[in-house]
Amino acid sequence: MKKECIAMLLAGGQGSRLYVLTENMAKPAVPFGGKFRIIDFPLSNCTNAGIDTVGVLTQYRPLELNSYIGSGQPWDLDREDGGVHILPPYQSATGASWYKGTANAIYQNIGFVDMYDPDYVVILSGDHIYKMDYADMLARHKKAGAACTISVMEVPWSEASRFGIMSVDGDDNITEFAEKPKEPKSNLASMGIYVFTWSKLREYLIADENDSASENDFGKNIIPAMLGKKEKMLAYRFAGYWKDVGTLDSLWDANMDMLATGSGLDLFEHDWPIYGRSVSAPPAFLGKESEVLHSVLTRGCVVEGRAENSVLSVNSTIEEGASVEYSILMPGAAVKRGAHVEYAIIGEDAVVGEDAVVGAKPDGSEGWGITVVGPETNVPKAYKLGAKRMLNKAMKEVAR
Amino acid sequence: MNGLHGIIFSYEKQPGLRELGERRMPGSIPFGGRYRVIDFMLSNMHNAGITDVGVVLHGNFRSLLDHLGNGKTWDMSRKYGGLKLLPPQSGSRGFRGKMEALAGVRAYLDEIRQDYVVLADSDLIINVPLTKVFEEHLASGADITCVCRSKYSNTENATFFLLDGEKRVTKTLIDPKKPEGCHCLEIYILSRELLLRLVDECAAEEKFSWRSDVLGAKCGSLDIRGWVWDGIAAQVRTVQEYYERSMDLLRPEVYRALTTAERPVYAKEDDETPTYIAPESRCVNSLVADGCIIEGTVENSILFPGVRVEKGATVKNSVLFKKTCVEEGASVKYVIADKNVRVRGGGVLTGTESYPVAVAKNSVV
Repeated sequence: MKKECIAMLLAGGQGSRLYVLTENMAKPAVPFGGKFRIIDFPLSNCTNAGIDTVGVLTQYRPLELNSYIGSGQPWDLDREDGGVHILPPYQSATGASWYKGTANAIYQNIGFVDMYDPDYVVILSGDHIYKMDYADMLARHKKAGAACTISVMEVPWSEASRFGIMSVDGDDNITEFAEKPKEPKSNLASMGIYVFTWSKLREYLIADENDSASENDFGKNIIPAMLGKKEKMLAYRFAGYWKDVGTLDSLWDANMDMLATGSGLDLFEHDWPIYGRSVSAPPAFLGKESEVLHSVLTRGCVVEGRAENSVLSVNSTIEEGASVEYSILMPGAAVKRGAHVEYAIIGEDAVVGEDAVVGAKPDGSEGWGITVVGPETNVPKAYKLGAKRMLNKAMKEVAR
Repeated sequence: MNGLHGIIFSYEKQPGLRELGERRMPGSIPFGGRYRVIDFMLSNMHNAGITDVGVVLHGNFRSLLDHLGNGKTWDMSRKYGGLKLLPPQSGSRGFRGKMEALAGVRAYLDEIRQDYVVLADSDLIINVPLTKVFEEHLASGADITCVCRSKYSNTENATFFLLDGEKRVTKTLIDPKKPEGCHCLEIYILSRELLLRLVDECAAEEKFSWRSDVLGAKCGSLDIRGWVWDGIAAQVRTVQEYYERSMDLLRPEVYRALTTAERPVYAKEDDETPTYIAPESRCVNSLVADGCIIEGTVENSILFPGVRVEKGATVKNSVLFKKTCVEEGASVKYVIADKNVRVRGGGVLTGTESYPVAVAKNSVV
């Protein structure tokens, strides 16, 4: 069945800079904002934009992600014709290979894309928090007759050297692309979201695969190759909320943006809902002695203690006399009686034992950072886990 | 294949529910912050492994149809079996009793794939292990097993059983002046074969009542046994009852027992974002669903999804349904506000514990 446009979502990355949080799951499956997972954002964007066929390319620790996506029903992507498809690397008659890079992952699935014979393909990644109407981006791409459209946003000049930077002409045609340039010529950063005319991309993927020197990466190889051949490349300016949550600091920041009305991350708008696979749990219960201020909480939460400036996810609990500040409790996390948690991320189903102290206030020193307790970790009674420390399920300290 | 089939009866509206029952039947009344009353019985059935359930509809069932959909919420959207909605035939004047209702869906009963059937009402709020009732039914060899309770308070128009030492029903009392024995909770397990026989017998004799024509009349000839459940069970037939049972949920032991993770209660997904509680607010001793924004004071209350409590507003001892908004400086106490009610800035709405105010859907106060 022919589709005008399908999406390919790159969800195979390990997310090693999330350390203990991604020891057992791929980054897109990491919980976000109380009741979501990171991948809910691109999947919801697809369904809201009317893209009903999505290939999700998985590789690193796919179990959590596979079971989370399931039939795609929470995103209305369980379709007779199209829908969500999980695409892991596979064995073929001539051998088997892992996805070597982002471009190679799509190359290995040319057969899947061809099955829908699309005119356009949207390439997405599974580690960004944002709401974007891909349909509008596609309309721009079609109108300009571009081979490739890349969404970009203005970043502060001081940070431009951390991104892939686009230089553009007066019509927003991309004239130059530089990956993490020391001296940036522009402050338009690539958001890692591409629309390609499939026939063009298909050619370049095959050529790239035949180039043994290539790293088979969109940013490093495909985009420069297309620019080199003077293809029409368009920049699509995006001005809404967008955050790469690939590091512990940015993941913590983005969660805290749920609390800041000025951050631009507004999930209360009903015209562009973010869907997620729901857990059946009762409404949150706030006890007689509880105190919850400037925080978000969701179903299954039971708060008998104190929470301030925090994100409390599904089924997380704070017992009497315990307090949580500037922290994220991931689904099922428990903070026991008398414990104190601040500036920390407590992983899924982790337990902070009675009277334990996790995290510390920023003191301006180099050694300060967010404290992280890995999923299913039991922090013992009265244990002290200071700033920037990380503990995993095996009670092993992990350094960063 | 699992041996149990479910049939749920959904009755005509209860006049005692005033504004809350105007547009819906008791089964589709919102309860407990994110549920509809019928969610409890459907979840009981799902948690007992039941995949095939028929819901006998009667009265103003539009809101219930909308809620049940294809049954996906309770995992009852199946290729074979699953959730089946059984509306009355056009022109029929509804049913006078369960036996008449069952006779009306006789063709459906013929198609039941399971050997046993559990009958239940849509308006009972309970989280009961039906698997255990079924095991006991099989072990005792009883013809009919009835779930009942030995402790009770509200007993208007109820059925009672006197049980012997082996929990055999020795006498059925229908709406007695002075309750005694065990209060029947209207959950019954029996074989499909016996059910079909009873339906046909009653139809032939123009009998329509399950409780008088079966439980009462056949008390001696059938082996009818009680299965006693003294956990939480509630019916909401009046605004007052609705209010009291809602407030009971604020006792942690009640809330935990009714929503135990062992047997979760499944409710339709609301796709709301988590609730936001603002810096200068206060929210204590309350149940709060997703999608709420709380900037004022909330005490001893139950908030359904999408409720807003603006700055300086106060909500005490109240139940606010979906998308109700209490505007700046307004105050509500002892109020049950239906969906999408707006309490205007500075407004005051006060009921009492013994006579809570019920506000109809979409009202602006």
